Amino acid sequence: MKKILTGIALVSAAWALPSSAADLNIGAAFPLSGANAEYGQVFSSGADLAVQHINADKKLSGKLTMVYEDSQALPAQGVIAANKLVNVSKTPFVLSAFTGVSKAIAPVGLRTKTVMVNGGGVGPDLASLGEYFWNTIPLVDFEVRIIAPYLVKEKGFKKVALVYVDDPFGQSILKELEVELKKAGGELVGSFSIPTTAQQFSGVAARVRDIKPDAVYIATYGNQQVQLVKQLRDNGISQPIASYSGVVLPSMLNLPEAKGLIYTSQQVDWDKGDAMTKRVREDYNAKYKKDPSMYVLNYYNAVMTFADLAAALEKAGKPVTGENLLAQRKATKTFEFVGGTVSFEDNGTVKSPIQINEMVGDGSSKTIAAAK
Amino acid sequence: MLFAQLLANGLQTGALYALIAAGFSLIFGMTRIFHAAHGATFTIAGFIFYEFYSVLHWGWPIAAIASAAAAGLFGVLLDRFVYAIIQRHEGSFFTVFVASFGAAIVVQNLISIFFGRGMVTVTTPLSKSIELMPGLFIAPISGIIILCAVISFLILQWLLTRTNLGIALRALGENPNLIEVYGLTPRRLSQYVFLIGSVLVVPAAILTSATSGLNPSMGNHIMLISIAATIVGGVGSLRGAAVAGMLLGLAENLCLAVIDPQWSEAVTFVILFLFILFRPGGVYGRAIVS
Repeated sequence: MKKILTGIALVSAAWALPSSAADLNIGAAFPLSGANAEYGQVFSSGADLAVQHINADKKLSGKLTMVYEDSQALPAQGVIAANKLVNVSKTPFVLSAFTGVSKAIAPVGLRTKTVMVNGGGVGPDLASLGEYFWNTIPLVDFEVRIIAPYLVKEKGFKKVALVYVDDPFGQSILKELEVELKKAGGELVGSFSIPTTAQQFSGVAARVRDIKPDAVYIATYGNQQVQLVKQLRDNGISQPIASYSGVVLPSMLNLPEAKGLIYTSQQVDWDKGDAMTKRVREDYNAKYKKDPSMYVLNYYNAVMTFADLAAALEKAGKPVTGENLLAQRKATKTFEFVGGTVSFEDNGTVKSPIQINEMVGDGSSKTIAAAK
Repeated sequence: MLFAQLLANGLQTGALYALIAAGFSLIFGMTRIFHAAHGATFTIAGFIFYEFYSVLHWGWPIAAIASAAAAGLFGVLLDRFVYAIIQRHEGSFFTVFVASFGAAIVVQNLISIFFGRGMVTVTTPLSKSIELMPGLFIAPISGIIILCAVISFLILQWLLTRTNLGIALRALGENPNLIEVYGLTPRRLSQYVFLIGSVLVVPAAILTSATSGLNPSMGNHIMLISIAATIVGGVGSLRGAAVAGMLLGLAENLCLAVIDPQWSEAVTFVILFLFILFRPGGVYGRAIVS
């Protein structure tokens, strides 16, 4: 018994020892279960690749570790996840996703001076959540401003119907699309809100068909958008379907019914030729046998932004705290992101050109209008 | 024409809901076990069909048999190795419910691990609608769904009313203690109930894989439909589950003629609420006096 107790004491002591004084943890509140878990898988693949590169390059004095908590893409669950990351895991930098979750956890960041970085949610409100909340993704208002004139002026689709999820994100799209279509000379002929839990859309398809639009814009996310596209097509909607960058999920790209779907996304210049872009593309392809999506890049860039800022703080002999990270970001004019050099606006959101793409139906998509 | 279209959609959704609810209603009615993992059975059945049909390309009959075998096996094993053990130790209704709920979460996570967390769909030309007349689109699969529902309920009705097993199962639902006097074992009969109840969900799971697709977390939605239809139809009444499933499906679709799609799911719960208030026994249920 004495030996066992001694053994337990030794193991406990070894466990309690700090692995290295300079080791850093950063957190992520991603949906790891539930209907939007596929996003969590995609987001974490980008963040993990960045951590792998940072540690391999010894960019920081210690080892960087990613701590994940499950937000389930639900605001209440997101707040629990963020509180745990900030108060228990003591992470100065937390990755966030989804508009509703991001809006819910932003006050936690503001109160505890923890940087929260979103690379997946696109609601326009995310630009005004305080200085500790940053976005490495252009928000959806920028995307709608590009696709509305494209649909109306270049494709001649003057009458557009909208099917949107009934949450802050969907409502912001409705507001933005109404204004932007009108500006371009088109019209929002019908808008149909759906609950976040809905799975049957044959009735919605009947309503959409009834108003005879030239094109249909869909604004939802996760598995629901895949179900929506399939059921719209199965139920006789032959008009072009358009959407925002959130449709880029493997299950949507591989859906035969999604062939021809038009969507906006931020620009990535794969031909930029810099070492970082090349390395990310090659390493991601080697592991997942496909090119990284925008979400992968957004979270890769978010973690790299942390590493750049933390490295600068370490060099200056300052501790890596949320407050210092914010000050360092404000002092840094530009950041090297995969596929482009970007800068943060005063509200903490990156500026990036938007391009228009079309799904090919075989798991890939092609650019059909250059970035503006 | 919009009304005709919504009516057609409602019949399809209703038949699907009836199929989904029948298994849960049977299990709950006969064994009084709140089988919260019924949604997990649905998910297993759907994903096994998808694997055999769309990935391995073994043809739909083999895929359907594999799907039914997996669903039946899951139900029987859960009853034998989880519910039976809890009940043997005089576990309460709530303990069994929590165990069932836990099993559903485990299944959801296992499916996520093996099949990924995204949506999968079975591609078939049967799910593509054909314009029968201007503005009225019907997919061949709608007819198949309704036919499957009718056949399933007819077989079940025959089984429960014309066979010794069916009579024994109904007796189990009435008085599990009394049937022991006749030399029957409630636990053994319970396993038959789980086998039949689990296999009943298979046609709905297969058809859903082609109409709206499958995802690992869809079990929750299935449970909501099952509970609503069981309460509205009357606990333990298969006829009630069929009528309630159809009623909910029709209401969910027909209401779209006058309200926004956003509120269509709420209609289901308004109906449920009205039944709880004014007819707690459901359409075919009996009033329970405590």
